[in-house]
Amino acid sequence: MLQSIAEYLSTHTAQILVQIRDHLLISLLALAAASLIGIVCGYFASRSGRAERWITLPFNVLRVVPSLAILVLLIPVIGTGVKSAVTALAILAVPPILINTVVGFRDVPDFMTECAAGIGMTPRETLWKVQVPQALPMIFAGMRTALVEVIASATLAAKIGAGGLGEIIFTGLGLNRADLLIIGGVAVAILSLGCGLLFDIATKKIIKWK
Amino acid sequence: MKKAIKTFAAAGLAVIIGAAVSGQVLAGDAIRVGSKDFTENEIVAELYALALEDAGYEVERVFDVASSVIHTSILNDEVDVYPEYTGTGLISILQLDPITDPQEVYDTVKDAYEEQFSLTWLDYAQANDGQGLFISKEASDEYGITTISDLQANAENLRFASQGEFDEREDGLPGLEKVYGPFNWKSSKVYDNGLKYNVVEEGEADVSPAYTTEGRLSETDKFVLLEDDKQVWPPYNLAPVVRDNVLEANPEIADILNKVDATLDTATITALNAKVDVDKEEYEDVAAEYWETIK
Repeated sequence: MLQSIAEYLSTHTAQILVQIRDHLLISLLALAAASLIGIVCGYFASRSGRAERWITLPFNVLRVVPSLAILVLLIPVIGTGVKSAVTALAILAVPPILINTVVGFRDVPDFMTECAAGIGMTPRETLWKVQVPQALPMIFAGMRTALVEVIASATLAAKIGAGGLGEIIFTGLGLNRADLLIIGGVAVAILSLGCGLLFDIATKKIIKWK
Repeated sequence: MKKAIKTFAAAGLAVIIGAAVSGQVLAGDAIRVGSKDFTENEIVAELYALALEDAGYEVERVFDVASSVIHTSILNDEVDVYPEYTGTGLISILQLDPITDPQEVYDTVKDAYEEQFSLTWLDYAQANDGQGLFISKEASDEYGITTISDLQANAENLRFASQGEFDEREDGLPGLEKVYGPFNWKSSKVYDNGLKYNVVEEGEADVSPAYTTEGRLSETDKFVLLEDDKQVWPPYNLAPVVRDNVLEANPEIADILNKVDATLDTATITALNAKVDVDKEEYEDVAAEYWETIK
């Protein structure tokens, strides 16, 4: 088993590197799109209970639909390839970011915003200098959850020609070859854990700087 | 709580014993027709079942058995007859080296099955559900590609849609390259097997692997099945595999099933598959309709 793993790794090195690159690219694009949507929607949702209900509901409904189903449903609309994969993964990644953003903004203590108003800050200044820094740790935590989830699910991208490490896993399933399944599975796990760790380090740096 | 567990266990045991007993009883009277878990095999198995029922036999259908398991099922006396492919028998079950002559493959598996498993291969149908490659009609017209040799010569202009396993399997791309030479695709991407026709139809790829009787290949205005002009792939002819003791007890079923197989060629099977996979009819209806035309 170890031998066949080593052999596959040495004969397919270039291919695996391309797959890792594609996998990361898809995941990060999806995370970027989801962060944009999640944080903006989350900010508006945090301002009233009613807005929160209406904004989080559709995303929570969408999240329940399995990513694989979304991928296949998107094909007639967007086509195959990277665009569909990123869209499906972004849909998966929005809810954790959205929910954490809402909680982050809502948990900013009232006295802080009141003080800010009291010392003459404009609402815009209050947002950027008080609310955002206070909410940031929660938002980052949501992004981290989303990132790990997205990297694991990005294996599905291989089903629609978007590449990534899923190619090795699905090939292994088709051939019933455990060595390929282990290579693919372990690579995704390492990528997921590694990115999580890097994200933690980056978060610490940013929040300290703040 | 303890009592509940006991009751539950007793009920479970009763169900298991009941199932075993009823299985035993049925095994006595009915012929158990099995099928693998894909459209074509279910249609053909249903045809066998209909033919046997029309001849007065009682039939029990054991359909949708996983392809990798059905051989074990017939060895374990859970199935009496099912449609098998000569190439599958040769390569997957007997694990012999590929042979490309249909008659030779059939003779080899027939002898080996009789000797090793006490199973009989009845006559094989012309229908060949083998490995193949198809190309979009546009690309075929543009480059004049109708055979795999043509394909190899034009590979650098073509985008390949693989299912991943085809690139690695001994009877996939590596096998082809040994005989035809290298295929330097313009690009090669992995897609889910269920999407290959959509991907080619929408112009996102030009070539993809297929099985030669897949329903969508009947859309000849969109897809062209390439001829394996150097005969790399072994034939996968359909034939009924029957347990010897069942055949001895009912010798006339050989004729009944052979008659069905004699009508099945690749075009017929492809058209039947298309009715289920493209037109979304039920396989039972398609089989019954076809049976009316040949009985």
